[in-house]
Amino acid sequence: MTALRWIVLGLAALLMNLPVIATLATSLKPPAEIMGNPGLWVESPTLANYATVVTVSDRLDVWAYLGNSAAAATLGAALPLLLCLPLAFVAARRGYGRRLLLPLVVNLRALPLIIFAIPIYLMYQSAGLLDTRVGLGLVLAVVNLPLTALILLNAIADIPRELDEAAAMDGARTGRMIWRILVPALRPALATSFVFGFITAWNEFLFGLMLTTREAVPMTVGASFFFAGAGGGVQWGVAAAVIVVAMLPPVLLGLLMYRQIGQAMVAGAVKG
Amino acid sequence: MTPRARENRWLVAPAVAFLLLMLGFPTVLNVIYSLSDVSFETLRSPRLDGLGNYGEVLSDGAFWASLSFSLRFGALTAVAEVLLGLFLAVFLAPLLRRHPWLLAVLTLPMMIAPAMMGLMYRLMLHEFVGPLPHYLFLWFGSSPAFLSPAWAFWTIAAIEVLQWTPFTLLLFHLAYASIPGEVREAARMDGARAFRLFRRIELPMLLPTVLVALLIRLIDGIRVFDNIWVLVGAGAGGSTTSLPIYIYTAFFRGGPLGPALAASVLFALAAFATLALALRLAGRRAP
Repeated sequence: MTALRWIVLGLAALLMNLPVIATLATSLKPPAEIMGNPGLWVESPTLANYATVVTVSDRLDVWAYLGNSAAAATLGAALPLLLCLPLAFVAARRGYGRRLLLPLVVNLRALPLIIFAIPIYLMYQSAGLLDTRVGLGLVLAVVNLPLTALILLNAIADIPRELDEAAAMDGARTGRMIWRILVPALRPALATSFVFGFITAWNEFLFGLMLTTREAVPMTVGASFFFAGAGGGVQWGVAAAVIVVAMLPPVLLGLLMYRQIGQAMVAGAVKG
Repeated sequence: MTPRARENRWLVAPAVAFLLLMLGFPTVLNVIYSLSDVSFETLRSPRLDGLGNYGEVLSDGAFWASLSFSLRFGALTAVAEVLLGLFLAVFLAPLLRRHPWLLAVLTLPMMIAPAMMGLMYRLMLHEFVGPLPHYLFLWFGSSPAFLSPAWAFWTIAAIEVLQWTPFTLLLFHLAYASIPGEVREAARMDGARAFRLFRRIELPMLLPTVLVALLIRLIDGIRVFDNIWVLVGAGAGGSTTSLPIYIYTAFFRGGPLGPALAASVLFALAAFATLALALRLAGRRAP
């Protein structure tokens, strides 16, 4: 029975991760080998495709895409922390906003984002935020609001009330108390929601596609440019390498914190 | 107003302001434009036009086709993901309990952008350079045209299921692990065999999680965009046009914008209604 379980596990892991394995293999093949050997085995591995990826051309600039994604995802993960921390505090400790505001924020997760995409596009057009990192980051912050609010709410509920009540007795103002008492106690939750938000924001595609054109193109959208072969068709080795580059940051973060992130996702699922 | 009530207001003010700016204002804009005759050239001077745009959308066969695509896609993938995830979580439970790091391998696909997943399958399924057709030809002498109109729906559904079964697996793994040991022991003392134990005791305890997983995956399946868009776009003859893809292409086609906005308002209303219904059915109040 145990052997059968291992076989099922191996098959499931292989099947679900097959595209990743195939992409890694292709990214290491020299162009001549790709056509002749489409299998998963690499005969003469090379890093030439990666060298091509990191070379800036007039049409493709992977460093700019990485920079845009890093900047927009950082804003998109950090801003919800600032907005949700006080919100989660009053909701958890004083029951304020539990009737309308909190359900509204939390249930945003269930709404298809395309319904806001067009009016945000039109709004950005008049505000000059189209094709900017800040504009993209603000939208990504909206995407991350629900889970950030939930993670912080659950984390605050787990902190003993006596901690902040004692500080309040000492006459500390609420703002100071949140900063001095709550933030240090919440450090793991803040880290989890930042990392989770960063991964979500990095992986977002639709808003990047709609709201950017040249200057603020994020990595996911930039990677798809490599698949639109200019004249001579797609260079598959290079295209595979750019995907590896694009998915490396979220995958590494995810592997590093898989336990916390898994629990955060599930907490969102059960409570949301 | 007491000082504390005033303080509460100040503390939630930033979040409220942000929501009004990023969602409230766009929603108002959405509704106004959806009732107007407007194009990219006349954004600043929309002409109110009543419900004409809605009539146009509702009489557009492509809109209903995309709605049907999204519903079929969402329902099929949600059910498949829940069944597979439930099976894997329960069957592999002894292994996952002993080697928790295996979860990291199994949940890896969740960390990858759906758009990147779609691009990877463009390589995987390519008839000349793709490993899958290569091995199918090698072993069976033939390979289906995965992205042809006849196959595209099933191909995309399989891709979605393979990427998101890890999510349901994780959900069920945690729910299954939290079933108290005494419950299992007591049932075993009564002589219940493994399958009976699962059907009579464990499955009923997992049922709420099953419903939550179905709902979440249904919603995510209905709004699918990224992986389809990078893999096949709207598809030959609109064969892979999900509701979001319908709205997106209607918007960027040029010409009048009203129909795209009307479609997105309809989508929003449907989403709200479904959500409200689901919350009521689940009988749970949001936190």
